[in-house]
Amino acid sequence: MDFTLSGESKLMVKAARDFAEQVIEPTAAKIEEEDALPDDILQKLAKARMLGMMIPREYGGVGSTALNVILILEELAKTGSAAAFLMAFCNSVAETIYHWGSEDLRRRFLPPLCDGSSYPAMAFTEPGTGSDPTAITTTALPDGNSYILNGTKRFITQGHKRGFGVFYAKDEDERITAFMVDKSSQGYSWSKPWALMGLAGQGLVDVFLKDVKVPKEDILGEKGRGFHILLRWIAGERVQQMAFMVGMGQACLDESLRYAKERMVGGRPMTAMQGFQWMLAEMHTSIEACRWWTYRVASKQDEGTDIQVDSAALKLFVVPTIQEVARKALQIHGSYGYCKDYKMERLYRTIAHAGVTAGSTEIQKTIVGSALARSKGN
Amino acid sequence: MDIIVCVKQVPETSEIGWDPKTGTLLREGAGGILNPTDKNALEAALQLREEHGGHITALSMGPPQAEEVLREALSMGVDRAVLLSDSLLAGADTLSTSYALGLAVKKVARYDLILCSKESSDGMTAQVGPQLAELLNLPQLTYATEIAVNHNRVRIKQRLEGGFRILETCLPALITVERGINQPRIPPMDSILETYRDREVQVWGAEELGGDKDHFGLKGSPTQARSVYSKRVKRGQVSILEGEPDEVARKLIGILRQRDLLRGLHGT
Repeated sequence: MDFTLSGESKLMVKAARDFAEQVIEPTAAKIEEEDALPDDILQKLAKARMLGMMIPREYGGVGSTALNVILILEELAKTGSAAAFLMAFCNSVAETIYHWGSEDLRRRFLPPLCDGSSYPAMAFTEPGTGSDPTAITTTALPDGNSYILNGTKRFITQGHKRGFGVFYAKDEDERITAFMVDKSSQGYSWSKPWALMGLAGQGLVDVFLKDVKVPKEDILGEKGRGFHILLRWIAGERVQQMAFMVGMGQACLDESLRYAKERMVGGRPMTAMQGFQWMLAEMHTSIEACRWWTYRVASKQDEGTDIQVDSAALKLFVVPTIQEVARKALQIHGSYGYCKDYKMERLYRTIAHAGVTAGSTEIQKTIVGSALARSKGN
Repeated sequence: MDIIVCVKQVPETSEIGWDPKTGTLLREGAGGILNPTDKNALEAALQLREEHGGHITALSMGPPQAEEVLREALSMGVDRAVLLSDSLLAGADTLSTSYALGLAVKKVARYDLILCSKESSDGMTAQVGPQLAELLNLPQLTYATEIAVNHNRVRIKQRLEGGFRILETCLPALITVERGINQPRIPPMDSILETYRDREVQVWGAEELGGDKDHFGLKGSPTQARSVYSKRVKRGQVSILEGEPDEVARKLIGILRQRDLLRGLHGT
């Protein structure tokens, strides 16, 4: 088993670190203050060719791997900014369109996602359901060569920004179908963004669909197979979310080390004290375990393995582990860690998101447990 | 406009130590990176190519793993990368390094400008650029914070300790650049991928370079490090002098005299 990163991956990590330090970090405080990403951040990500990483070049992508996306994301995540999340989100939606889309859909929708002229969206959740397909109330009824969509979608990332999104609705056969919806369509509107505890600028809105017309050829994948599309997407999304957590966990450790080396207690730096050394050691050990398991699941994704159970188990482990890393980091910082002037405060709030978004930690237990119960052998 | 940029792989950490017995760098555990100011030299070359067209060659000398920094240069956008690597070249001081680089420059043949960083972050001698210019009999402009090329002439803004001056010469020439000359571009991900999958770093050994082998490597290096030592920092006790300014000044002078630190100064 080779744990060595290739030269290509190492240079990508270095480039991502420079991007995080030079482009994202200087704007992080402003993003927090305004709860909005700068308009040009998507273009800067596109210029760095960080969007469409897993998409072949013929559709405007880079032709790289899920592992490289994870490595880049980990570096961007050290900022604790939603800009890192945006990069991951663009990649996962693009990969979904590539995997399920017809040649026509690929040609039309992938280039604008890769060049940053379109913001993606992935719309399943509704006011009455997070992940239960039977509870979906958005409808899609045929009308000639089109479908007419009606309903409300909740917590839709970048649902208010130009571009298109994948929207899930119950069709005339009461089955879930995925549609490519243009956000400038007549009848498409949205709420103001939800104010979140962390991830400022992520732009979660409710989207209202009122007689939105979608051509039949803009169905993504097979009609009635929408829930499979969602499950596959969310498995990849979970791995990315965990890379985001690993990056933020590392930032917690980096910030804690910097603080503890400078902070003098009784004439000695905090790092000279065994109690703090133990905390730092536990943090480091936890992050390493999370990091390498995340890389492993991303590698499995590149191998073409179904990662639904792996990614659920990964999330089940990483979320509480990194949340504990953040708790220790806050304790090391003392009252300063609770101040908005310190990055630690932002990291702590942002790290809280992963336990409840893209499937709660608890539902991962159900996924893993039911898979074990179904498995053959003892 | 054809440009050659000289780059170097340096240890990643600035906290790297010395082996007091051998006088060599303790490189174990320290990864190699592209010398930070070399990125500025590369960026300056890329900007000149954008303005005037032409071809950029990145040139480095080092062990085989120095190929990594040339891959970084390729991913930033240079056209060609050449590594001088041979056991005969190992252990070179700045003069021997300049000699080998000079042979490589002659082998590249076509160039209007050679760009170097003002110094490397490990050796910090700032000698290779000027020595290379002398060996090639080229005019040299050092410590550039701006570069402008107009027809067959190049003009730089040179940073001095107390200000700046404008210098101009004809091409071909060699320029060393300052860190603040520009903000180096971040290589895009597709370019990194292409660099590793489709592009080549040419490796030239002593045979390809030709020249006099006696001038290569340790053998050809007139500079020998007699001994290397780490600076010892003694931490003394801090005394805070209190009182009126005149009184405090007198106390301070008294202490300095007591420790024989004012010897040779008049009027004290």
